[in-house]
Amino acid sequence: MTDQLTYPDVVSLAVPLFIALILAEFMWIAIKGRGGRYETRDAVTSLVMGAGNVAAGLVLGFVAWGFFMWLWRLTPLDLGTSVWVVLACFVLDDLRYYWVHRFGHRIRWVWASHVNHHSSQHYNLTTALRQTWTSTFTFMMVVRAPLILIGFHPAMVLFVGGLNLIYQFWIHTEAIGRMPRWVEAIMNTPSHHRVHHGRNARYLDANYAGVFIIWDKLFGTFVPELDEEKPDYGLVHNIATFNPIRVAFHEWVGIFKDILQPGLTWRDRLMYCVAPPGWSHDGSRDTSETIKAKHLIRHPEDSGTPGFQ
Amino acid sequence: MPLEILLVLVVFGISGIALLLHLTGRSKRPELTLDSARAAWSRHFPDDTIEAIQVSIEGHAALVHSDAGLGLLWVFGADTVARHLTGCDVTKTDTGLRVDFHDFAAPPAIFPLTTDERATWQAQMEAA
Repeated sequence: MTDQLTYPDVVSLAVPLFIALILAEFMWIAIKGRGGRYETRDAVTSLVMGAGNVAAGLVLGFVAWGFFMWLWRLTPLDLGTSVWVVLACFVLDDLRYYWVHRFGHRIRWVWASHVNHHSSQHYNLTTALRQTWTSTFTFMMVVRAPLILIGFHPAMVLFVGGLNLIYQFWIHTEAIGRMPRWVEAIMNTPSHHRVHHGRNARYLDANYAGVFIIWDKLFGTFVPELDEEKPDYGLVHNIATFNPIRVAFHEWVGIFKDILQPGLTWRDRLMYCVAPPGWSHDGSRDTSETIKAKHLIRHPEDSGTPGFQ
Repeated sequence: MPLEILLVLVVFGISGIALLLHLTGRSKRPELTLDSARAAWSRHFPDDTIEAIQVSIEGHAALVHSDAGLGLLWVFGADTVARHLTGCDVTKTDTGLRVDFHDFAAPPAIFPLTTDERATWQAQMEAA
């Protein structure tokens, strides 16, 4: 069994590309006068969050790596390192990404980590870099366990995960409308991902895909971008801070404030951690389901249309 | 990539992009009008029925009366944020009012107001 296998750190290598594409997108918007918006503090916050994500990986990455290597020593299976194996690993890891991402929107403990990626009211290439600092604490590394146990080397799993992240960079833009039909049918695109970042009732909890949009179509979470309803970016309750520390930790603070409320049952406290965002013991807050239901009361004509089926 | 090079890229990348955005006018704050404040509040709280809006003379905040109670809308970067005013603390400053929302995602903020506005807004906020 191969213990020593290394792949390049593709995310770090892509940093110059990220900077170049951000500048290119900004120039495009400035020259054409369309295709997105930039705001200084918002963009800086996103970029600092991206840098913090890399730093968090350097500091806490050993936790996931240690877990993966423990699994690797446990499994008798080794699929090797051929190109086909790497390709299979990429596709299966994208399926893994879909589910982790879906959990990230449906389990508040995981949402606490992921929420910062949705906390900008802008949608441009800097938003792609507004990444979590706290993913280690979600324990979502367990979703990668099956990949390693069936014989994909941990280094390969992290390598394809990096490629997945790089792919998702370019789809965070309004500068690209729609891609050719076959691309829109198979791949995650700017149009599909704009829907995912929309706070419109129609677009909540949709399009979790990383690279292949087919997962959303397969698991019933696909919603197309409608020309008549532009995505409104940000959170249902937008945060009022550009402070990266507050951006990174605000939902964790929210969870702890909720579970420490007096007079709750232990079930209530658990539900504040694992129920979908917006759940509350007294029903005083809105989940995506109640937001959609309330929207349909105001707009019954939307019933049966995408996002309300 | 060596960590030192990555660090240099990140520091110069962020600083350069920040400078470029600032120098091309991307730090400007929009001014609220009655219509834009109304639209913004409805965007944040679509279930609320707005009863009255007072936009500050300075133009970066608005007090919103709705069927859900009193709320505050303010300019945040190029956009807006809003909060219902329940359980917040309001204190007078030399230039306006300081509102502490007791919300980690909305740190205390100072809203510039004229002397007259400050008195009327504070009275309404404390009664909320």
